[in-house]
Amino acid sequence: MASHDVRDVLNLPHDGAARPAKKLKTNVPRPSLKGLAREVQNLGGDNPIAIVPEISSFKKRRFGSRKPAARWELRPFRNSARDDQSLHLRHWRKQTEDQARTQESQSGENGAEQESKSEQLDDSTFAKFNVQVDIPQYSDDQYNSNLISRYWTKDETDYLFGLVRDFDLRWPLIWDRYEYKPKPPEQARNGEGAGSMDPRTAVMPAGRPRSLEDLKSRYYEVAAKMMVVQKPVQYMTQPEFQLHEMMANFNPVAETQRKKFASDAMSRSREEAQEEELLLIEVRRILARQERLNQERRELYHRLDYPQTEQDISAFKSSAGLATLLQNLMNVDKTKKRKSLMEANGVNTPASAHPSDRLGHPNSTPISENRRESIAASSTGHRDSIGGSERPERPAKKGPQPAPKKLSEQEEHIYGVVHHDRLPSGPTFRYERINKILTTKSNAQHQRITNTLAELDIPSRLNMPTRAVVEEMEKLLASIGVLLDTRKLSDKLDAEIKLEKAKKAEREKTMAPAQTGKAAESAKVNGDAKKDGVNGTHSTNGDSTSAATAEKTNGDVPATNGSTNGETNGNSDTTANGDGAAPGDKGVRPGSSSNNRKRSVSVLSGISDKSSKRQKK
Amino acid sequence: MSSQHPLPNTQQPSDVYGGDEVSALVLDAGYCHTRAGFAGEDVPKSVLPSFYGSLKTGDGDAATYRDIFGDECLIPRADFEVKNYMSRAESIVEDWDAATKMWEHVLIKRLQPEKPTPPSKNGLNDPVPDGEGDVAMDDVEDQEKPLAESPLLMTEAPWNTGKAREKVIEIAMESWGCPAFWLSRTPVLAAFAAGKASALVIDVGGANTSVTAIHDGMVLKRSIQKSPVGGLWLSGQIRSMWDNNDPKIDIVPSYMVENKTPVDAGAPAQAKLRKFPYEISQSFRTYEEERLVTEFKESVVEVWRGPGRYSNPGNEDIVRSQPGRVFEMPNGSNQMWREQRFRVSEGMWDETAALPAAESITKAQTIPELIKAAVNAVDVDLRPNLLGNIVITGGTSLLNGFGDRLNNELMAMYPGMKIKIHAPGLTTERRFSAWLGGSILASLGTFHQMWISRKEYEENGAGIVEKRCK
Repeated sequence: MASHDVRDVLNLPHDGAARPAKKLKTNVPRPSLKGLAREVQNLGGDNPIAIVPEISSFKKRRFGSRKPAARWELRPFRNSARDDQSLHLRHWRKQTEDQARTQESQSGENGAEQESKSEQLDDSTFAKFNVQVDIPQYSDDQYNSNLISRYWTKDETDYLFGLVRDFDLRWPLIWDRYEYKPKPPEQARNGEGAGSMDPRTAVMPAGRPRSLEDLKSRYYEVAAKMMVVQKPVQYMTQPEFQLHEMMANFNPVAETQRKKFASDAMSRSREEAQEEELLLIEVRRILARQERLNQERRELYHRLDYPQTEQDISAFKSSAGLATLLQNLMNVDKTKKRKSLMEANGVNTPASAHPSDRLGHPNSTPISENRRESIAASSTGHRDSIGGSERPERPAKKGPQPAPKKLSEQEEHIYGVVHHDRLPSGPTFRYERINKILTTKSNAQHQRITNTLAELDIPSRLNMPTRAVVEEMEKLLASIGVLLDTRKLSDKLDAEIKLEKAKKAEREKTMAPAQTGKAAESAKVNGDAKKDGVNGTHSTNGDSTSAATAEKTNGDVPATNGSTNGETNGNSDTTANGDGAAPGDKGVRPGSSSNNRKRSVSVLSGISDKSSKRQKK
Repeated sequence: MSSQHPLPNTQQPSDVYGGDEVSALVLDAGYCHTRAGFAGEDVPKSVLPSFYGSLKTGDGDAATYRDIFGDECLIPRADFEVKNYMSRAESIVEDWDAATKMWEHVLIKRLQPEKPTPPSKNGLNDPVPDGEGDVAMDDVEDQEKPLAESPLLMTEAPWNTGKAREKVIEIAMESWGCPAFWLSRTPVLAAFAAGKASALVIDVGGANTSVTAIHDGMVLKRSIQKSPVGGLWLSGQIRSMWDNNDPKIDIVPSYMVENKTPVDAGAPAQAKLRKFPYEISQSFRTYEEERLVTEFKESVVEVWRGPGRYSNPGNEDIVRSQPGRVFEMPNGSNQMWREQRFRVSEGMWDETAALPAAESITKAQTIPELIKAAVNAVDVDLRPNLLGNIVITGGTSLLNGFGDRLNNELMAMYPGMKIKIHAPGLTTERRFSAWLGGSILASLGTFHQMWISRKEYEENGAGIVEKRCK
């Protein structure tokens, strides 16, 4: 029967405080007991019994294993870091066993052994910590050749270097102890070093106060120069060179300035310091806010940054297109599960924001709208023309594929859209088309063509084979071919005429001159006419070629124009090529040029037709 | 444990703290106390007042003086003068004879009790040569010099003169036969005791207060600032306060009181004074009075903690409302001290608050001005580091509230800087910090290359101390 049962029976209030305390006690690990003791302990239950049986056991003394007490000796040692090696200090060290033995054996004997012992004294373990700073040294000659300064005598430089060595380059100390008193000039003159001393520098103003920067700059100057003397700059290793650069570029003025700032910062009053602190806090707050703002802005941009589409978006630009887009989005939204609603919203907001943005400018003129469309079209068209084949379309997520827009003839021209009836398989270079024309010709003809081209100052290989240029070139080559054919024909005719004339002369010789009345006259007239016709063809031919070249050079410009800046509208285009084509020719450029060409060719062919007719006559 | 063999010396790890004991002695002499002990210990073995007694025997021209040292000797005697071997203003040795004797007493008598001469040499067993009882002493040269086995490290004030330094090494080498010697400046050692190589040491001692900047274990000479605002100056302030108190307080040192009966606060003392059959010298009486004043300083005087000066309006009212302290004089008279105990110490910080006394101070001699001057004499780059490593030392800095006030003054002076004050809580560390630093230094293994050895002294003469101990 525990006490709380008794309390229950007697209807006494539970002592709340006493209980947990007891509970806590049970958590205390009990000493592990064995046998009867544990049984006794368990009888107590929650309340541990005060009587705890303790088994007292004593440690066995281990007399046998105990070693004799360690012997210590006052052992002298030397310190190799000392300049003076005679000082032997003594410290207590444990005696090693062999030492103890030798000491026992020779206890009270002569000191000769002791002498030899002191020869092999231990070095102090701390000697290795004695490190020295490397201070550059210079001889008198080196000083006179390199280091002479207007502001420093050699004596004072020596003094400075002495201090630097003494204080291991601790500049505050060097400056603190710097008390240079220049030697009186008489003494210097009398002394040994008077020869090396410049008399000008010897009468220096006595003991000018040197700032820390003065000392540093002098030291670095000398040290850098001595570095160069010992090792030219180009042979220095990277760290050496860096050190040299650092020392050579020491700027005492900047250093002084910096120290001035530092001391100003130190001598601020409390108010100033507080103000500065407040300002700093303010700046920090602003910066933090800016960061947050940037973060938010970036997030916003991220939201606005809708996924880039490869498709033509012009379909969505009209109000009808927008409506379909919205419809599509809503459809997508509906089909999505509720779980991803949040995500879907996140995705959709930018998209929905975008059209609203578009709708925000309802006053945009149809012209500009039109242009924007055309730009979009041009980009697609251009890409197609370059790629040669259609790119694989992305799977349409947003809506139906927009129908390709019909371009006007002018627009097609501007954006370089061409329609081929039949495309050659695979990509080809345009200049190869020209080459092909040339190579198919016989060798002699090829030579002739190139000669003609050289005459016209046109390179046989095109510099910039744009489509328009290639077309023009093709035309040119065709007309050259015609020209050459015509010339061949005319040569042939000339030869025939000569032959006929010779025959005629033969005949006249044999026949009486009287018989040849009318026939000769008519033949002469005929020959003249023929001559005239040949001449005419020549002249027209020249005209046409010159026209063609003019055409070609002019045609170059608009062609490149058209391909590069597709935005320029038709008007500017026509003005650009206006001087080449007839001023009234407002039509499409390739068309006009081909018209020209046709005319010239037809003239040629017309003449040749005439001449051939005459010949037949 | 038994499996461990002692390592050979080369492998033996040198102590964790880089220590290597060579049984060096450390002697730190100040105006009020002279401290000596073995290097490596944490408290000096013997601390003696630098005041010594001079007993006169004989009369007139034939008078001879015997110097006696140690606190226990300074008791009322006939023909007895109390002197000090140092100069009050500089804390530099003035009386070299007395100084040598004093130091010998401290170093040899107190630290190295005479060993009994071995029986083979003490002469008692020698056959009597000529029938006389006494045996002639061996030659003085043959006798071992007293400190032949121990290197000695001594301290000096940072403004010590070159002459005094040479004299010191002469004494150590010539008359004591030290194998090695070193002279170090007290603020450097105080910084070492605080575990710092660079520090701004504010030493508020007995005779002087000094502020010194230490860089890499060396004193920056231009920064040394010294002022008489120390313990003795504070005693002067207390005397002045007692003189002007109502009722006026007579200073009756303990030795004069035979018995006393307790009286109420403010009531006149009821004590029977001792009568001496001889005349007590004024110097002895002053010395004894100083003890009383020191006790008053230790138990009553407090420093106004700030912020701001004590003289700022309102501060005194605050102090008045707080409980005071009762101090009972040796003759039984006692009194409650409230605002006065703050007022006496205020002169250390604020020259206008100093009580009119024999030694008036200027503004430049107050502690904040000393610090300012010391910091300004140091390169700008070092200043932040110094202000972050301020070491307070000296017995007078143990005044209640001293550290708080110093901190407040520094915060007001350098508002933007980080200020950290190192003020050891142990009184021994504050009172003996220079000795402690010497103890640390002399027991360092890396220090052994620094000692000026006997040979070096013999080769270079006393001037070597100027060259080596920079």
